[in-house]
Amino acid sequence: MPEVKSIFREVLPKQGQLSMEDVPTMVLCKPKLLPLKSVTLEKLEKMQMEAQEAVRQQELKAKEQMQ
Amino acid sequence: MEVTMDPLFLAWSYFRRRKLQQCADICTKILQDNPYDQDSSLLISEAAWSLKTRALTEMVYIDEVEVDEEGIAEMMLDESSIAQVARPGTSLRLPGTSQGGGPTPAVRPMTQSGRPITGFVRPSTQSGRPGTMEQAIKTPRTASTARPVTSASGRFIRLGTASMLTNPDGPFINLSRLNLAKYSQKPSLSRTLFEYIFHHENDVKNALDLAAQATEHAQFKDWWWKVQLGKCYYRLGLYREAEKQFRSALNHQEVVDSYLYLAKVYQRLDQPITSLNLFKQGLDHFPGEVTLLTGIARIHEEMNNMSSATEYYKDVLKQDNTHVEAIACIGSNHFYSDQPEIALRFYRRLLQMGVYNCQLYNNLGLCCFYAQQYDMTLSSFERALALVSSDEEQADVWYNIGHVAVGLGELTLAYQCFKLTLGLNNDHAEAYNNLAVLELRKGHIEQSKAFLQTAASLCPHMYEPHFNLSILYEKIGDLQSSYMAAQKSEDAFPEHVDTQQLLKQLREHFAAL
Repeated sequence: MPEVKSIFREVLPKQGQLSMEDVPTMVLCKPKLLPLKSVTLEKLEKMQMEAQEAVRQQELKAKEQMQ
Repeated sequence: MEVTMDPLFLAWSYFRRRKLQQCADICTKILQDNPYDQDSSLLISEAAWSLKTRALTEMVYIDEVEVDEEGIAEMMLDESSIAQVARPGTSLRLPGTSQGGGPTPAVRPMTQSGRPITGFVRPSTQSGRPGTMEQAIKTPRTASTARPVTSASGRFIRLGTASMLTNPDGPFINLSRLNLAKYSQKPSLSRTLFEYIFHHENDVKNALDLAAQATEHAQFKDWWWKVQLGKCYYRLGLYREAEKQFRSALNHQEVVDSYLYLAKVYQRLDQPITSLNLFKQGLDHFPGEVTLLTGIARIHEEMNNMSSATEYYKDVLKQDNTHVEAIACIGSNHFYSDQPEIALRFYRRLLQMGVYNCQLYNNLGLCCFYAQQYDMTLSSFERALALVSSDEEQADVWYNIGHVAVGLGELTLAYQCFKLTLGLNNDHAEAYNNLAVLELRKGHIEQSKAFLQTAASLCPHMYEPHFNLSILYEKIGDLQSSYMAAQKSEDAFPEHVDTQQLLKQLREHFAAL
């Protein structure tokens, strides 16, 4: 759009020093790639879940028998 | 007339097809039908008994090389360490001794033990070694399980008890009534029995008894029994005895497994260099063996030497181009050395190989975003969210989506993502830190300070919350607190330039007073 003239004109100083203040900024923690799990770890976690589930079922049964 | 198959043969067939529960059921029936006292049926019942022990073992079998669980007691009351402070480059316990151009914590996040996060977790990579007792108790392992007090109360023992609880007629073999001496004389039965006791019952002491008697019966010439003895000693924490057994087993027969077990002993004794040498010896006998190469790569990675770890992982891939661990580690290394598009290729390769889980899609999403392939980013994250299996995983995915939102400048979305992260896992220190940064942008100084303090107390090893706190304090004029926070930040990340500058500025200020 060459016809439309901007109200603001950019200023590009051709001489003189350019100074910039280095202000420390807050840092964000970095994005986290999630590590893949090894087969052994997956099997361990699965076994643990199953065992917990089985024990819970048994406890439920025991409770029902008590009543 | 229907022709029935011989039950023992059927059971064997089930076993081969890994239908272990059916196999065990048939064996139980055979054992009920054939009493032990008749000579004719003795052989059959022995075979069925042995097959049943094998089936039960297979159900819970996990690779012993991979298993490593260190309790708090073993870690803090370590008898095998030689010096209080090891020389740099000789210990796995000094995480800060980076030699090989690894990315700094400014780029690559750290695990709780102060190591850069890895691309792959195994049971033994979860922990690392915390420096103090307090940290040891606080450090979670993977997700929500706490570290056991000793390895004698760890996950394996709990699994053993659970398997007993779920068996209504009591255990299949009553170990206390077993005549171990009798079984150790029968080589055909003793091995399956040993594996059953070791893996299924997790009763290391009885397993050790059996192994000791059997190796005596074999006149100390059977390498297999020596390896088993070594495994028992390792589980009991008698590392030097385990070392002797494995060495002796290697004298009888060169087996890859013995090398791996022995290297594991040295790693537990914190002698990574010996371990490396051993792997190289092993490679002389078994050139190009993938497990040995992986072992070397893992040690380099744990010693923070990322470039040589990557070299060895590449060697692994030359031998086995579907090695998930190697691909994942190289991928994550590329991601954190500012090459997300190459990391993306590695993760895509994993996807082609059929790995299909939440972690992979999360990583793909991040790589796509940072490699400027925006069309795939959000759909990858959506899939990751659809595949999550626990709250902690979901929290991590939302945390990463928050980063994407920050990158897009959608600060409201980012704020909501980090809030969701905290809702799912309220120990997520990174999310606290990032929320604090967003709060400060809105001008909520008190809120921001509170978040940062929480993050700093949750994860004292991260430099970000300390550094941010330091800046915040400096802005509100509390220079003393700012100085203390900056010092903590320096402890966590000595090379951080901004911290150094801030400290210098503060020191000048104090000197002028």
